[in-house]
Amino acid sequence: MLSNAATISNDDLAAEVEAWLDAHWDDQTRREKDTNQLNVKSWLGKLVDAGYSVPTWSPDWFGRGYSSKQARLIDKILKSRKVIGRSQDRYNLGAVTVYRLGSEQLKSDLLREMLTGAQSCLLYSEPNAGSDLAGVRTKAEWVTGPDGGEYVINGQKVWTSNAKEATYGMLLARTDWDVPKHGGISFFIFPMMQDGVDIRPINQITGESEFNEIFIEDARVPAGNVVGGLNGGWKVLQTALAYERLIMGEGATERPGKQKSSVPPLLELAQQHGKVGDPVIRQKIAQAIAYRQLNSLNMKRAKDEIINNGSSSLMSLGKLAMSRIQHGEARVAAEILGAASLLDGEDFDDSANMNFDSAKAYMNSIGGGSDQIQRNIISERILGLPREIEVDRNMPFRDVKSG
Amino acid sequence: MSEFSDDERGAMRDSFARLLSERANELQLRKAMASAHGFDMGLWQSMAEMGLLGLIVAPEYGGIGGDAQLLENLMEEAGSHLLCSPFLSTAVMAASLLSASSDEALKSELLPAICDGTKIFAVAATGANGSWTNDDISIEAHKKDGQWIMDGTASFVLHAEKADAILAFARTGETAGVFLVDAKAKAIGIEKLEANDPTLRLSEITFSAAHAKRLETVNETAIAEVLDLTRLALAGEHAGGAKRIFDITVQYLQTRYQFGRQIGSYQALKHIVADLLIEVESAASAARHAAKLHAAKSPDAQTFISLASFACADAYRDISAQSIQLHGGIAYTWEHTAHLYWRRARSGLWLFGSSDQHRENYLHCLEAA
Repeated sequence: MLSNAATISNDDLAAEVEAWLDAHWDDQTRREKDTNQLNVKSWLGKLVDAGYSVPTWSPDWFGRGYSSKQARLIDKILKSRKVIGRSQDRYNLGAVTVYRLGSEQLKSDLLREMLTGAQSCLLYSEPNAGSDLAGVRTKAEWVTGPDGGEYVINGQKVWTSNAKEATYGMLLARTDWDVPKHGGISFFIFPMMQDGVDIRPINQITGESEFNEIFIEDARVPAGNVVGGLNGGWKVLQTALAYERLIMGEGATERPGKQKSSVPPLLELAQQHGKVGDPVIRQKIAQAIAYRQLNSLNMKRAKDEIINNGSSSLMSLGKLAMSRIQHGEARVAAEILGAASLLDGEDFDDSANMNFDSAKAYMNSIGGGSDQIQRNIISERILGLPREIEVDRNMPFRDVKSG
Repeated sequence: MSEFSDDERGAMRDSFARLLSERANELQLRKAMASAHGFDMGLWQSMAEMGLLGLIVAPEYGGIGGDAQLLENLMEEAGSHLLCSPFLSTAVMAASLLSASSDEALKSELLPAICDGTKIFAVAATGANGSWTNDDISIEAHKKDGQWIMDGTASFVLHAEKADAILAFARTGETAGVFLVDAKAKAIGIEKLEANDPTLRLSEITFSAAHAKRLETVNETAIAEVLDLTRLALAGEHAGGAKRIFDITVQYLQTRYQFGRQIGSYQALKHIVADLLIEVESAASAARHAAKLHAAKSPDAQTFISLASFACADAYRDISAQSIQLHGGIAYTWEHTAHLYWRRARSGLWLFGSSDQHRENYLHCLEAA
């Protein structure tokens, strides 16, 4: 039944996907045809088995071996018909990691489950391992048992979103304390729904609670759930982080476009608060809008370069640029509001939004690699400047200072 | 204006880059800037032979009919090499002012002379305030016995000393127009102004009952359009200069050792250049996008030219200023190249309007959209 990936024309592919959807999906009710209510698992199973959820993957693993161009075509059709489960080969980080780096056994154990609704979360950062992620201290110890053995995990993870909903956590834990830090880390697919996993929401400075702390005490991981081999976790993490940045990067390119054609928000705020004639404020508004516009021009150039050359170093600039944009816009909004910046709450909507944005801007400038880490990445990987000397690089992790 | 493909633009840019590498390296640049007229006449002739002086002139007048995109691309190269020449005033401003006229006889006489390098033009466009706005035109023109007569003073005129002819913006009662004057006429006084940037030549020009010829149909709208194209060219020059001095600086950080290691390994310096890379790329994106819109005659072109004008000028200022700091003592010497880029960037901040003016225009365009 599978179409030949190399020879099928775009028109034939589109027709085939549309026909399959006509037979199986109801656009109006947004559920599987001839069903009374949406059963996500059953629907995803159908889509996955048809090969439309991860079209770039191998036919051995729910895919069709399509090019990313063909996959984008399928994505576009699924999106236009509001189909659940599109492009999991780009957006399902857990499944992508298992597919790319997991053993054949792990793939056959987990992939279908992960593609049909079992969610995953990230267990990377720790209170003492933020920017310096290779400094993780969560411990994984091998314990021999009647059925062979398993890993016992103890430690604390932080900044995990989606923890309560997740079936699996992608866990970074230390398995060797006597080698330098990068060489003693393993990457586990960690079952979240078990005793010894305590999930506590974090109260953020924005008043929101998107992230959790995870306390892990004597929790278990099956032997086969190691990805990339024992002590091979750092390399797996680099790959997983690259996927993550790719997804974040795509998000960053979409965002600026949304403001097009409407009056820029800062200009509108100034109009509403009688500041639109203030020449000093006008300069600041213009500069703030310009920074956002310039970043979106850079990202557009990046996309063109990717289409023409396959890659673009400009892509790595977006996240750092976004920090200046977001902090800057919030600051200008505060200057427009003046003393009303002191206020907050429902009665003072503009002030509340500005105060929220001022706090939320740190999400971009700290999360996912702080601005300072981004500057290191840009100067080292794009500009080729040498790394700063790391005192702990060749030291057994046991002797590394922490605090 | 005809369209050029990306490949054709790339090829022209490459051959211009080759010419500049051969004929306008730093040694030659320093010689040219110290010369009597501030540029290399031989290089000017070579530019004419390559068709560069007729870049934006229509083919029927001897040009190659390039659009703003081609101009922007080539200006990046000019900026990269700190080209000092009357290119902006002759091949951009004068060429587009004359092209905007309906006087076929005049166009047939003067445009080919621009293209083949035989006539150099200065454009007297602003008064002592140097704001390049219509309010700042401080020359009056009136008609007497069928002859236009001009009085007043223009300032910040680029490369006037070697000019054969002057195009001057002048007020004629309520509106403004553009007038052609012989640079050697007795009624013209050209006084050199000492410029901080040795690669620039600036003059003040006084008109004392100077006889002039009006460029027919070149009205205030046409003047505004020419100034916009000039700003776009300058933005491209800034983007190219910014990129070059940035690359020179990054390279230095890799070769200079202190405390036993490359200074580029210190985060205190790395973080500055990472931030500056955003400025380098933003300048290129802004200038190129504005040029693309201008070439496509997009209604948004004006908005993006204003954006490019301040974004590129400010980026060049910051990058060239930091390049001196990042180099350290070596760049505090006259012999080092960094200060030449810094001076050019600091000049560019004030030519054809300030960044504050461009920001205000940008916001104004957004409000009007």
